[in-house]
Amino acid sequence: MLQNENAPALIQIRDLAKEFDPQSKNTVEALRDINLDIEEGKFTVLIGPSGCGKSTLLYLLAGFEKPTRGSLLLDGKPVEKPGPDRGFVFQDYALFPWRTVLGNITFGLRSNGWSKADADAKAREYIAMVKLNGFENAFPHTLSGGMKQRVAIARALAYNPRVLLMDEPFGALDSQTRKHMQQELQRILMQTNKTVVFVTHSVIEAVFLADRIVVLTARPGMVKGIIDVNLPRPREYTDDSYLDIREAVLSLLSEEVEKELEMDGM
Amino acid sequence: MLTQEPVVTQQTAARSVWGVVRFVYPFVVVALIWETALRLGWVQSVSLPAPSQIAAEFWRLAVTQGVLWEHFSASFYRLAVGYFLAVGIGVTVGALLSLSPLLRGLFEPVLSLLVSVPTIAWLPVLLITMGLGDRTVITTVFLGGFFAITYNTMRGIEMVPRNQILAAREMGVNGAHLFFAVLLPGSLVSLITGLRLGIGYAWRALVGGEMLAAMIEWGIGKMVFQARFFNNVSIMFVGILLIGLSGYLLDRTFLRWLEMATVERWGMVRRR
Ligand SMILES: Nc1ncnc2c1ncn2[C@@H]1O[C@H](COP(=O)(O)OP(=O)(O)OP(=O)(O)O)[C@@H](O)[C@H]1O
Ligand SMILES: [Mg+2]
Repeated sequence: MLQNENAPALIQIRDLAKEFDPQSKNTVEALRDINLDIEEGKFTVLIGPSGCGKSTLLYLLAGFEKPTRGSLLLDGKPVEKPGPDRGFVFQDYALFPWRTVLGNITFGLRSNGWSKADADAKAREYIAMVKLNGFENAFPHTLSGGMKQRVAIARALAYNPRVLLMDEPFGALDSQTRKHMQQELQRILMQTNKTVVFVTHSVIEAVFLADRIVVLTARPGMVKGIIDVNLPRPREYTDDSYLDIREAVLSLLSEEVEKELEMDGM
Repeated sequence: MLTQEPVVTQQTAARSVWGVVRFVYPFVVVALIWETALRLGWVQSVSLPAPSQIAAEFWRLAVTQGVLWEHFSASFYRLAVGYFLAVGIGVTVGALLSLSPLLRGLFEPVLSLLVSVPTIAWLPVLLITMGLGDRTVITTVFLGGFFAITYNTMRGIEMVPRNQILAAREMGVNGAHLFFAVLLPGSLVSLITGLRLGIGYAWRALVGGEMLAAMIEWGIGKMVFQARFFNNVSIMFVGILLIGLSGYLLDRTFLRWLEMATVERWGMVRRR
């Protein structure tokens, strides 16, 4: 890679804070003093107790929400609104039910100036990548959860965003399908080399997929610790060094989960 | 292989014939019982004529005199004009209300109140302000459809799943494109409900309007209303049955078809 060691990271998060309803007395401080660099081509996992602001951080990166303080740079430019330099994958797929598999994937391309022929060809390429050949003309309601999420991933990747943002994408799948989708995602990303920010509750999933795991504290979310996962790919769940990393993540996490339970009065 | 196709068509044909038979036979049974009861003198009735009389009256109106079609076409013209105005304006207003919090805050309470006013209650006002002719009747039809369509369009757009909208916006889709490509199709379930309710209310409003607007000559509602001058209950029943049948068919044909071709096909509602 030509990339300079000192080149600025693809995503730079500086002193970021997010409060909901800041003027009212129901203010929720979701995120506090987040500083984080996300390198191009890296898979970053955000993990932390429920309600700590993981989705909020992802929404800020997506441009769905605006920071209360601090800055958020993508490619050196402040993130101000949603845009096709980012792709988003939701836990509930958020496919357009009135469009076929092909139509869902071409939508983003057509909206960004691709001709119909080119968009169709590109979409078919991604349909093949997520192994949905033969389902081009199926409507989403006829697909299984795992298949829907493949469509959503293809839809978000097809228009070639700089970053793929994923909010618990496999959270609604059964454990068998989930494991399979983790392997599939790993395979797809080894092909595309995409930068990913991925939210999960599962330490196993985090260690399997991540280059870096960012553990957040209970609300207000701050960076509690960062764990680098330097394991070769393709990975297997059975690698020995896994257990150590899992332990490290778990111990960071469990302190915070306990704090959160105390906050909830449990 | 080739021999299979006709079998399939025969089956579908048989099924739809069976559908019509199943729909019609309760009417036939009731008619036969009533006819027999009257003929054998079990009951005496002035207000409910024998089915054979109604049928004869229908024949006279539809074939011998042929005036029935004149009434019908006058009614359908008013329905079509009023209803299409209601669809155009209702969908537009509903969309604007759902998209602008300011407008919504201003008009939603008014709309929620007016949506539950029976359209016929507007008639006295319209008769005074717009006269006793076609304009009043068409406006009544319009109002009948308008509130239901506006309200359901607004609700439908609000209920489009947030993540679908966000997914589209992340692709850079905004403004009018977002509206036509995501909000409108996403709100179709509710919008079609509005269209169906709307045509039902519009049809009822039409008949009421025709009865009370003194200056009009033709119309199915007019026909029923005028029959009282001749004490002809059979005409009234011909009218009542046709009004019921038309309302039923309006709902069951093109709107039902629209529903099957869209929201049912897309799995947004369960198939019926
Ligand atoms: N639109 C909003 N308005 C007000 N408060 C919000 C809003 N969105 C999130 N919050 C609050 O911000 C905090 C962080 O929420 P967020 O959804 O980011 O948590 P999370 O880490 O994704 O949780 P989970 O793991 O359960 O998905 C929560 O307390 C939540 O109630
Ligand atoms: Mg979340």
